[in-house]
Amino acid sequence: MAASDSDDSLYPIAVLIDELRNEDVQLRLNSIKKLSTIALALGVERTRSELIPFLTDTIYDEDEVLLALAEQLGNFTPLVGGQEHVHCLLPPLESLATVEETVVRDKAVESLRKIAADHSTADLEAHFVPLVKRLASGDWFTSRTSACGLFSVPYPRVSSQVKAELRTHFRNLCGDDTPMVRRAAAGKMGEFAKVLELEYLKSDLIPLWTNLASDEQVQNDSVRLLAVEACVSIASILPREDLESLVMPTLKNAAEDKSWRVRYMVADKFTELQVAVGPEITKSDLAPAFQGLLKDCEAEVRAAAANKVKEFCENLPADVRETTIMTNILPCVKWSFFLQELVTDANQHVKSALASVIMGLSPILGKDNTVEHLLPLFLIMLKDECPEVRLNIISNLDCVNRVIGITQLSQSLLPAIVELAEDTKWRVRLAIIEYMPLLAGQLGQDFFDEKLNNLCMAWLVDHVYAIREAATNNLKKLVEKFGSEWATSKIVPKVVAMAQDPNYLHRMTTLFCVNVLAEVCGVEVTVSVFLPVVLKLASDAVPNVRFNVAKTLQKIGGLFDAETVNSQLKPCLDKLKTDQDFDVKYYASEAILVLTEAA
Amino acid sequence: MSAATGPVTDKIDPFSKKQSVKKPKQKRSQASSRYKAKGGTELVPLPQLKDAPPAEQHELFIKKLQQCSVVFDFMDSVSDLKGKEIKRASLNELVDYITAGRGVLTEQVYPEVVKMIASNIFRTLPPSENTEFDPEEDDPTLEASWPHLQIVYEFFLRFLESPDFQPSIAKKYIDQKFVLQLLELFDSEDPRERDFLKTVLHRIYGKFLGLRAFIRKQINHIFLKFIYETEHFNGVGELLEILGSIINGFALPLKAEHKQFLIKVLIPLHKAKSLSLYHAQLAYCVVQFLEKDATLTEPVVRGLLKFWPKTCSQKEVMFLGEIEEILDVIEPSQFVRIQEPLFKQISKCVSSPHFQVAERALYFWNNEYVMSLIEENSNVIMPIMFPNLYRISKEHWNQTIVALVYNVLKTFMEMNSKLFDELTANYKAERQKERKKEKEREELWKKLDGLEINATVNNKEVKSVPPTSTNTPVAGGSPAVGTRYAPYSPTAHRLMAK
Repeated sequence: MAASDSDDSLYPIAVLIDELRNEDVQLRLNSIKKLSTIALALGVERTRSELIPFLTDTIYDEDEVLLALAEQLGNFTPLVGGQEHVHCLLPPLESLATVEETVVRDKAVESLRKIAADHSTADLEAHFVPLVKRLASGDWFTSRTSACGLFSVPYPRVSSQVKAELRTHFRNLCGDDTPMVRRAAAGKMGEFAKVLELEYLKSDLIPLWTNLASDEQVQNDSVRLLAVEACVSIASILPREDLESLVMPTLKNAAEDKSWRVRYMVADKFTELQVAVGPEITKSDLAPAFQGLLKDCEAEVRAAAANKVKEFCENLPADVRETTIMTNILPCVKWSFFLQELVTDANQHVKSALASVIMGLSPILGKDNTVEHLLPLFLIMLKDECPEVRLNIISNLDCVNRVIGITQLSQSLLPAIVELAEDTKWRVRLAIIEYMPLLAGQLGQDFFDEKLNNLCMAWLVDHVYAIREAATNNLKKLVEKFGSEWATSKIVPKVVAMAQDPNYLHRMTTLFCVNVLAEVCGVEVTVSVFLPVVLKLASDAVPNVRFNVAKTLQKIGGLFDAETVNSQLKPCLDKLKTDQDFDVKYYASEAILVLTEAA
Repeated sequence: MSAATGPVTDKIDPFSKKQSVKKPKQKRSQASSRYKAKGGTELVPLPQLKDAPPAEQHELFIKKLQQCSVVFDFMDSVSDLKGKEIKRASLNELVDYITAGRGVLTEQVYPEVVKMIASNIFRTLPPSENTEFDPEEDDPTLEASWPHLQIVYEFFLRFLESPDFQPSIAKKYIDQKFVLQLLELFDSEDPRERDFLKTVLHRIYGKFLGLRAFIRKQINHIFLKFIYETEHFNGVGELLEILGSIINGFALPLKAEHKQFLIKVLIPLHKAKSLSLYHAQLAYCVVQFLEKDATLTEPVVRGLLKFWPKTCSQKEVMFLGEIEEILDVIEPSQFVRIQEPLFKQISKCVSSPHFQVAERALYFWNNEYVMSLIEENSNVIMPIMFPNLYRISKEHWNQTIVALVYNVLKTFMEMNSKLFDELTANYKAERQKERKKEKEREELWKKLDGLEINATVNNKEVKSVPPTSTNTPVAGGSPAVGTRYAPYSPTAHRLMAK
């Protein structure tokens, strides 16, 4: 090995080479991640003349290492001597842009794009563009796929002749024989459109785009999908008169494509498209198309459209907003929601998507319309059999609250909350817990004590850990809201009582509650109520409880004065340190360490 | 984590409510995606083919084919029941007609037949009911229009297999575009459909020589998309099954195109997470290649080692199985080339804390042919295997593994007792050496971290002052350096050559 301790300056490169050959991937990864350090130590000249060629020539490794390398090289410009020398980074990145693994290639392309900006115009034409051309005409599809992402960065800065060449290459990639390459080209079309001159956009790119959007491979909808994405960029650049003739026919076709995936994509991008084409076309063309998507025969498409209802309505031009919503959109929403009652194959996704956005219409439509048209819908949704629907209504309560207050809803709200709180799916229970503090704030303390407090306590003994954990955090937020006095009278007694529970998991819950409550309840309560309970649990029969005592003491130790720590916490921890259980000992000594350091 | 040792009540059963959580078993879900299926065409029953006078049969046959091109909405199970029944009966009749009748496949019939098949089977596949569809756990969503589709596929097969069938006429209609659409259907979630497609594609590949290269290329694209883009395609197993027999028929010497397919497509297929669904078929393809051309062994084994699972034990067991299949057919000259990297991996597997992985690897020693290879090369393999075997013979938690390891150690002892004694004697010293090396490495990195700090400081100086300090590791132009590098460069361009 070349390592020679006599010459300190050679030290790092020797380490690198050694580590690069280590059998352990992790170690190889480490050395690659230290690459910038090594380059720094080598100096710019030797980095250029030795390190970079070495990397270019000898690296063949696991994709993980290559990924790290590709990332590092993107930040190497200063390490090789800045703008003037940055092109020496191109060869290794070019190799990386041809490997099989997509993640590595994408990262290499990202780094290439980054360093393209560091190139002078002359170097861009002399080094960078030739690289793009090489990749674009590579044998294996991977290099051509990578090339697609490299057009938009150099294009604005090169001469018109080179520009013409780049356009030709891009056109070839759009018509590539391999669908993977066509997909990549379609995916990058939008960003390329943004840097293209308007005349070429119209003469070159739009025909290409129209072609991709009607990709001849009839079943192969994956290319057409991406063309929809490109549509957003293209539409935002073109002047209005061109839009109608060049873009809208294709877009309308896409909205009625026979593949649901393409229609889904249109629905998914709908609000972006809406912004791109502007208010006039929105009124004339998009609103009808949107209605179509809301009533699509495929549930996936309806759900995607449903998710956009609120934003679409917000973006409607002010003069027609209210009428469009009332006469066009709302009927579709209702149709889409109640359709489910009619067909046997109920689709919950559509319903819950609608439930999650419909509350957002309330601020747009104002108080009267909300009360008259939306409120009945909310009430029906609150009683829906699908828990996600109810949950989505509850989680968006604040929108409605601002417009009409929630008193009108509270009658229906309570049964819905209670039912969700006891839902058999723990994720649903978890979600409703997260809205408790918000609900508590809006419904007020009395209502809470009377109706919801018991629920909150019941969650503490749920049989799913995630729920118990969320329940303890919920208590903390409630105490923050209602104050420590409320805490002492309403919840502390119950928390403390759980320390006597025969189930060790519940005894641990007491400890978890103390962890989060100690601070918000204040030192007084902690010393007089919590601490004795915690200390008593230190002699619990179950080791899990005992080491959680150690953890709790570590956590709350900072609240106490030195005397309490020394007279009560330390002795207890010392005892736990001699416990027969390995984990208990570990956490006890860790706690002692932390407490000593703090003191 | 410590186990709960308290009273029984202390044990909470996290699954106690599972029964109530799980929904009652739903009926198998069905789906079908037809956008704006044309409605309104009412089918009028035609007379039966067998009742028609022979002179009119041909015309009636074509009429029935056209009638069967009409598609129905099966998601609405009550709509147009009459029409559906008429079509079903007609389809059945068509199947009988081309199976029993001779000379019915006249030239005019071909376009009508293909049109009928295309209008029925080619469609956008519906979205999966279950977005997290796990083919191993969940029931597949079945094709709702199967009552018709099944008979159409049946008819298609009879058509292709008919003694009267003439590929030279059919190729005008069963062309690249047709095949492309057929291949996309392999993504169908319905296993019944994929099964039919498999046979259909196999027949087409057999009868249409002009489409073979195209079919292979498109399968390539499907696999590459699956590996690098979506990781989702339901028909990988079926396509591999067809490929298995295609590979079997490759002429020797293998074309570069086929070798590239093995290395760039089949081997990377091993890394997808749903490997278990098609591993048997994949391993069969790989072994077929090796039986054709033994020189492919080294790139294949190195490829497998590259994609060796890091965290998924279940996949690791599959890889080990495939390695054993490869070892079963390996030539001794090839074995020598891969033994070192391969047994380094096997040594890791043997000491895996997952007992199924360890067990699967240790089973290699029950294979007589593998044993003979190991014995021939015991001087290389024993030193690689020994340290881990020795260590786990004392440490492994699973008694079965320990017993198996003892057996392996015993075979080693019998193979080469001298080397075995040496290895045993050196074991401790070797471990110490390793630890020392480890320590040295750590120190190197510590020093390097020091350099990093120095370098950062120095770098700041460098910006304003040229590097004059001897402390600054910017000793550009040292003549010794060039030679230091020389040994590493010749292995150039492996990345590109890969």
